[in-house]
Amino acid sequence: MMALVVLAFIGLGLRLVDLQLWRHAELGALAEKGSQEKIPQAARRGDILDVNGNLLATTVPVKTVCANPLLMGNQQAAVAHALAPLLQMNEADLLQKLQPRLMKNSKGQTVTNQYAVLQRKVSDETWQKIYCTMTNLPLAIDLSKMSKTERVDFRNVAFNLRQHAIFGEDDQLRVYQNGALAAHVLGFVGTKQTTNNTSELFGYDGIENFFDNKLEGASGWRVTGMDSRKNELTAYRDEDVQARDGLNVVLTIDTAVQNILETELADAMREHLPAGITGIITRPGTGEILAMASFPNFDPNNLQSINTNNEPNRVISDVMEPGSTFKTIVISGALNDRIVSLNDTVFCENGLFHYGGITLHDAEHNHLGNIPVWEVLEKSSNIGASKIGIKLQAPRLYEYMTDFGFGAATGIPLPGEVSAHRFVRPANEWGKYSIAQIPMGQGVAVTRLQMAMAISAIANGGVLMRPMLVKQLQDSEGNIVQKYEPQAVRRVVSEDTAKQMVEALKTVVSDEGTAPLARLADYVVAGKTGTAQKVEDGKYANDRFVVSFIGFFPADNPKICISIVMDSPKEGGRAFGGALCGPVFHNVAERCASYLNIPADEHMQAPNSPALLVAAGVSR
Amino acid sequence: MAKNKKNQAAAIRFGPALAAFFACFVIAGAAVGYVWQKGQIYELGKQIRDKEIRLVQLQKDDDQRVKDLAELRSPVKLDERAKELNLGLSPAQPMQVVRLSEPAISMPVIKNMTRQFAARPIDAMSQ
Repeated sequence: MMALVVLAFIGLGLRLVDLQLWRHAELGALAEKGSQEKIPQAARRGDILDVNGNLLATTVPVKTVCANPLLMGNQQAAVAHALAPLLQMNEADLLQKLQPRLMKNSKGQTVTNQYAVLQRKVSDETWQKIYCTMTNLPLAIDLSKMSKTERVDFRNVAFNLRQHAIFGEDDQLRVYQNGALAAHVLGFVGTKQTTNNTSELFGYDGIENFFDNKLEGASGWRVTGMDSRKNELTAYRDEDVQARDGLNVVLTIDTAVQNILETELADAMREHLPAGITGIITRPGTGEILAMASFPNFDPNNLQSINTNNEPNRVISDVMEPGSTFKTIVISGALNDRIVSLNDTVFCENGLFHYGGITLHDAEHNHLGNIPVWEVLEKSSNIGASKIGIKLQAPRLYEYMTDFGFGAATGIPLPGEVSAHRFVRPANEWGKYSIAQIPMGQGVAVTRLQMAMAISAIANGGVLMRPMLVKQLQDSEGNIVQKYEPQAVRRVVSEDTAKQMVEALKTVVSDEGTAPLARLADYVVAGKTGTAQKVEDGKYANDRFVVSFIGFFPADNPKICISIVMDSPKEGGRAFGGALCGPVFHNVAERCASYLNIPADEHMQAPNSPALLVAAGVSR
Repeated sequence: MAKNKKNQAAAIRFGPALAAFFACFVIAGAAVGYVWQKGQIYELGKQIRDKEIRLVQLQKDDDQRVKDLAELRSPVKLDERAKELNLGLSPAQPMQVVRLSEPAISMPVIKNMTRQFAARPIDAMSQ
């Protein structure tokens, strides 16, 4: 008897040594595997804010609702019936997803699937409802007909079904607070699946794409012990690497200015039915972009609304012949080189000029003879500009073009900017009549942003600025991580030349100029119209034009520069930049001036205006 | 002198008994302490977890408030609302704005500032 007890103890001892020593590593790992779990910690994607800190894009936590069909028993129909309205799904489709499927695992064994995605991007509130519904799911089973063992089994099945069969995985949804506002600047995000079966947002276009690595942050993880009900046991945390949230990108865009621009562009879109219309508002002194819009646009909250027609940001991705707005470049260059002065006269050939085998025309109503250089701008004479270009000569004109930033990317922090270098060929590659054609804005292609920045350079006393779209990057606490400063690219013309150009451009909005409709009541405006024929099948079309107006105000101390470009308006051959884009400029400028509190030009105020009365010390 | 064997056998040996009792007490105390500590670790872990869940919830609520505020301040929404209510609101025209020019504050000119500093004792300067 005693020997048996001793033997039993020896046996138990040996088993203990076997388990605790010899197989320790193997069994330890197995035990850890059962109770330990690696929980990924997703980083919150940073917000995009406007210059005043208003939210433009943010991230909200949502759930991906999943099911484990293995834990459903035969209650799929009951679950589908209860959840279909909450998930906004067809009950039959949901039932289909809840059915167990046989599949081969990596070892070639046939197993039942334990994971099925039912719906993505489900809000937290809906997920709470789903959870409550599942916890209280009524099961049509008569327990009284079951044996005691069957009842215990059923209770286990019911518990698993109600608690674990439907589960939510953390996910993120990108929300664009103002819908389609600034859609082309912000861009949008896509979703990609990661290796651990979670989804991650990634920038697809716009700022979302360009600053993707700053916005996305770094995800973390936690290796921790779990109890049998999958609750975390904090004491058994092994690794705890916190996720680092993405940085917030603060733009130079002002939501209110953007809204003004977009509402006016939308009105123009309805009125003139163009193929597209774009607008840019910059601060000439710093290069800051206050607003940028391209129509047709899209709502980044609704990815289905995005297509090849409305996705491109035409401000930077499309090139166009600038038309008459380009005359400012040629005349600036000629003034800067002192080849002409504003009061020199140019003979405009009464509207018809033969040069290098081609005939240049002025606009139908322009049969101009000898006119001063400033009037070439005022009346937008093609022949006058060509003659000034010929005087300037091709190499110098080419130098001025490249100095003004044509043929090179502006460096705006947005994806998809075309540099258009192919369309600004060196002077030695020009054709025999290019020197007559380019000064009137033909035979050269530019982006809308390049053109707006070039006019801004004139407004800025001859210094070309780099377009600035991002003001700073900050962390989730609001601490500034990186600050961007305005950058001057180069001086393109002297300050004196710029001043002369401003004087000449002021005449464009006079009654005799091409854009009287762009004139403002309280500010002196300087600007230039453009009406460029579109090239179709290698020929200039007579009924399709790109019309534009780029202007700035107050002309002598410019606060903002506004560019409006309309592509193929319904007016066809009767479309002119001043007539179509001038009013849009006027409306945008008037509303912006009020919002930005730009002081009116004093000499334009009525003698009895309240401001003047106060300034003169007159009490009322 | 012969020993009284009977008395000797019956005598209680307090030393070993006390030592055994003490050893049992220490072992039992350690066991109870261990269990108590484990209980405390579990309890505190649970509290940490609850507080972490609460923190996450508060952060979510905070984010929601930020989102609500952004919506209330959104120029697009304000514009829509102003139109919807037909309040006849429009931006102020420059002519309606009265600008008051603020006169520059004239600072009193301190004559011979160097001498004034030099005349003060070093202690007063350092204060």
